Amino acid sequence: MFYLKFPRLSQTSTLRKQPADIKNAPGAYAKWRLLKDSWARYGVIGGGLAVIVAVVLIFFYLLYVVFPLFIPAAVEPVSQFDVPEKALGKTLLLAIEEQNEVAGRFTDSGQVVFFEAATGKTVSIQAVAIPEDAHIISFAQGSPINEGAVIYGLSDGRAVIVKQQYKITYPDNKRVITPSLEYPLGEQPLILDEAGAALEKIAVQVGEDTTTIVVKTADKIRLTSFEKVQALFAEEASFNRTDSVLDIPAVEVADILIDKEGRKLYLVSSDGQLSFVDISNQGSPAIKQKQNIMETGKTITSTAFLNGDLSLMIGDSTGLVSQWSMVKDGLNRPAMQKIRVFKVSDRPVLAINSEQRRKGFITMDADGYIGIYHSTAERELIKERLSTSLPVAAVISPRANALLVQSENGKMHFWHVENKHPEVSLKSLWQKVWYESYPKPAYIWQSSSASSDFEPKYSLTPLVFGTLKAAFYAMLLAIPLALMGAIYTAYFMAPGMRQYVKPTIELMGALPTVILGFLAGLWLAPFMEKHLSGVFFLLIIVPLGVMLFAFLWQTLPKTIQQKLPEGWDAALLIPVILLSGWFAFAVSVPLEALLFHGTLRDWFKTELGIGYDQRNAMVVGVAMGFAVIPTIFSIAEDAIFSVPKHLTVGSLALGATTWQTVTRVVLFTASPGIFSAIMIGFGRAVGETMIVLMATGNTPVMDLSIFQGLRTLAANIAVEMPETEVNSTHYRVLFLAALVLFMFTFVFNTLAEVIRQRLREKYSSL
Amino acid sequence: MASQELRTHAIDMSSVLRAKGNQKEHNETCIKIENLNLFYGDKQALHNINMEMPKKKVTAYIGPSGCGKSTLLRCINRMNDLVDSARIDGKILLDNENINDKAVNVAALRRRVGMVFQKPNPFPKSVFENVAYGLRIQGINGKRILEETVENALRGAALWDEVKDRINDNALGLSGGQQQRLVIARAIAIEPEVLLLDEPASALDPISTLKIEELINELKEKYTIIIVTHNMQQAARVSDYTAFMYMGELVEMGTTSQLFTNPGKKQTEDYITGRYG
Repeated sequence: MFYLKFPRLSQTSTLRKQPADIKNAPGAYAKWRLLKDSWARYGVIGGGLAVIVAVVLIFFYLLYVVFPLFIPAAVEPVSQFDVPEKALGKTLLLAIEEQNEVAGRFTDSGQVVFFEAATGKTVSIQAVAIPEDAHIISFAQGSPINEGAVIYGLSDGRAVIVKQQYKITYPDNKRVITPSLEYPLGEQPLILDEAGAALEKIAVQVGEDTTTIVVKTADKIRLTSFEKVQALFAEEASFNRTDSVLDIPAVEVADILIDKEGRKLYLVSSDGQLSFVDISNQGSPAIKQKQNIMETGKTITSTAFLNGDLSLMIGDSTGLVSQWSMVKDGLNRPAMQKIRVFKVSDRPVLAINSEQRRKGFITMDADGYIGIYHSTAERELIKERLSTSLPVAAVISPRANALLVQSENGKMHFWHVENKHPEVSLKSLWQKVWYESYPKPAYIWQSSSASSDFEPKYSLTPLVFGTLKAAFYAMLLAIPLALMGAIYTAYFMAPGMRQYVKPTIELMGALPTVILGFLAGLWLAPFMEKHLSGVFFLLIIVPLGVMLFAFLWQTLPKTIQQKLPEGWDAALLIPVILLSGWFAFAVSVPLEALLFHGTLRDWFKTELGIGYDQRNAMVVGVAMGFAVIPTIFSIAEDAIFSVPKHLTVGSLALGATTWQTVTRVVLFTASPGIFSAIMIGFGRAVGETMIVLMATGNTPVMDLSIFQGLRTLAANIAVEMPETEVNSTHYRVLFLAALVLFMFTFVFNTLAEVIRQRLREKYSSL
Repeated sequence: MASQELRTHAIDMSSVLRAKGNQKEHNETCIKIENLNLFYGDKQALHNINMEMPKKKVTAYIGPSGCGKSTLLRCINRMNDLVDSARIDGKILLDNENINDKAVNVAALRRRVGMVFQKPNPFPKSVFENVAYGLRIQGINGKRILEETVENALRGAALWDEVKDRINDNALGLSGGQQQRLVIARAIAIEPEVLLLDEPASALDPISTLKIEELINELKEKYTIIIVTHNMQQAARVSDYTAFMYMGELVEMGTTSQLFTNPGKKQTEDYITGRYG
């Protein structure tokens, strides 16, 4: 197997032996030569394949991380059991705790049955302190977040607030969840209607300091709030109570909703009258608005806040769920605005329950279907029928991974829900989305915030826009400079000068972009802001200076002109450009004051209404243009320089001027190389990270203005990747952005290569 | 043995020359070169050249490689301007006008003095655009006039029948001989007065060479032609006058039949009989 003759050995051996054996040496050498050749061949093939494999692996890794975004949601029945302690009354509310282990059933007899969510085995039964002489008329749940409080409205004008609690202990390293009830405002029932009228409808919002209760009796709507006052050294907190009566006819009110801040109150009548009351000053509630939100003939069948309490989900008798959000209208007045509609069923929507941490909700309709939806993405994720009988109560767990449904036939259904990334849809990624509280649909990237009820805005459109905008302005600077420079260097410059110029410009490309970004962000951006007019004067004065110098040079005596070797003219321009550049900035200050009565920046703002950001597309255009120039210059220069001399000579021999030869023959023939130079430069500008990160301000706005900032896909990944939770939707959307970027550069480079190959084929016989 | 070969060679030559027949001897001078010296840096490439080239005749420059014949040819349309180190003194009179004068517009001169190079150099454009190029750079863009001129030029270069169906195809798809005739068509499309041919057939096969030579015979009806060749049969076949150069000097010039049959200088005789070169 390892019979491998090394030439050195065979040579020495042949030397010792007879001269006739020398004939063997070439044989061994030939073998060695072949071996080296095949090694080299396999080495090259292996290297090439490794590159392709690496790129493909990157692609598949990105795809692997992104893929779960597009897995459809699924539900899976886990168990089914009889409603626990059925004898204790009908279910008013189902609740389930964080771990999906213990669930609670609030009954209309004032009992709370805690049971194991998966089996239905009763854990404990606890009675709410309802006075003997009253019975429950109404019931409501506050915000479900933080094991939300519920309120019982009683027949004698009193009410009881109860909070469920789940205490987790670990005896013997085993998790034990103990449910209990707590009375945040004391066990004593609260007297809400002094006259003792029955509380027909009730709503509560228990906050850290303030608890707000709104009740409807037969003829009044009352607002009561309790403000916690923690006296120094006192064990028990006392409460400051404020009462007021709303000036709204009570008869019509079918549903009462208080937002989690306790500042906004919505009263809904079943025929579609929505009243919005500002209760931020509890003593004097102000009715801000009344509007009809239902078409005639339809009735409201269910209402709920979407998580965050900024949107109302209104289910109606025709099976539609519409989302209403408070939006400032044209006169800057808040008004409820329908921002989207979900078609849930053809039959009435019986109930809407919101998820606690996302903008999702579940619906129950009169056809017996349970639906899971996501508002921002406008997606219907699940539509399932659990059994032939109608659902009467349902709850989705705090982590939105379990569903507990009670059906009419007395069965409880416990389902597992697999719905990790409902926020993402083609629409939410690429199209305009009407977000909560926004005046109109918009492209927004705003991925995270401090609060958990925030609506994530994952529009990639502003990022792609920013990427293209930054690349566009960079190319706007780089293409003319690099190509003109390449033409001059390759075609007009003396070889002696070219041998310095070309490596110098190529060396520019070796400058770390973080340094360019640093300079752009910390020096160039403030400088441009301060000397905006100077920048514009520079664009005018430098070319003028160059032309003036060229004209003056022509008029100089021949003897002086001839002292300059041909092709070194460009060197003379260096001081001219520096001088005229300095002159432009020097003259800009008085000229600006004279022409624009102040600074140019203010003039733009006041006269043209163009705002100026310090970190803007102009800064990044200059900085990134600077980074891209060496790439474009180098490739284009090589392409122009390698145009066969016999073509230029042929053109000149036909009486063409040098300029005609350059434009009609040289550039034409070098076009494949120039094209690929531009494409590679563009690819570089699209993928560039550090410069845009440091010089653009990273504001994901969709504004073409050169004075506005932007955020690119690459910078966005760099900014947000360190702070995102692994495997969250945000994390995967960032990978999707990376995939988009990858595809972008891949498609552009491939396209460039294909076109270049075709052009090259066309000119191959040169 | 060698002398026998030489004699056969000489007989071939004379038969060629006889076939050309007697030519009319009245000639008007087109180009006159006076005391031309050319330096590449410190090295002198042409030494004091004096010669006259008659109008509408074919003049051939022959001589061994490196003798300066191509350099001399390039002086006539000032292509040596493109060589940085080249310096020229002396006069070249084209219709009694010194083309080496600083005031001469080089582009305009080159329009009058067309040139065809050793290696076919069509532009990577269509056949049509190649021929129209010379017109377009003059600012002539009318469709009718371009089409007419292109067709005439291609007919003039005996190429029309071969390319009329693929006039819009890329010229690089033509064969070498066709490319060379295309380049000639491109040169004559702008109707120059003089046509400089720098070894136009040296890169071509014998059949293409024959076609080019036939073409030269036709073209001299209209143009003054100067051809550089190292193929003496070719010089004998196509030219009316021949100049023999050696080491940057003009050794001898005369009618082709005289130079080949009765050379005046020993050097010339040695060269045409193949003693060196």
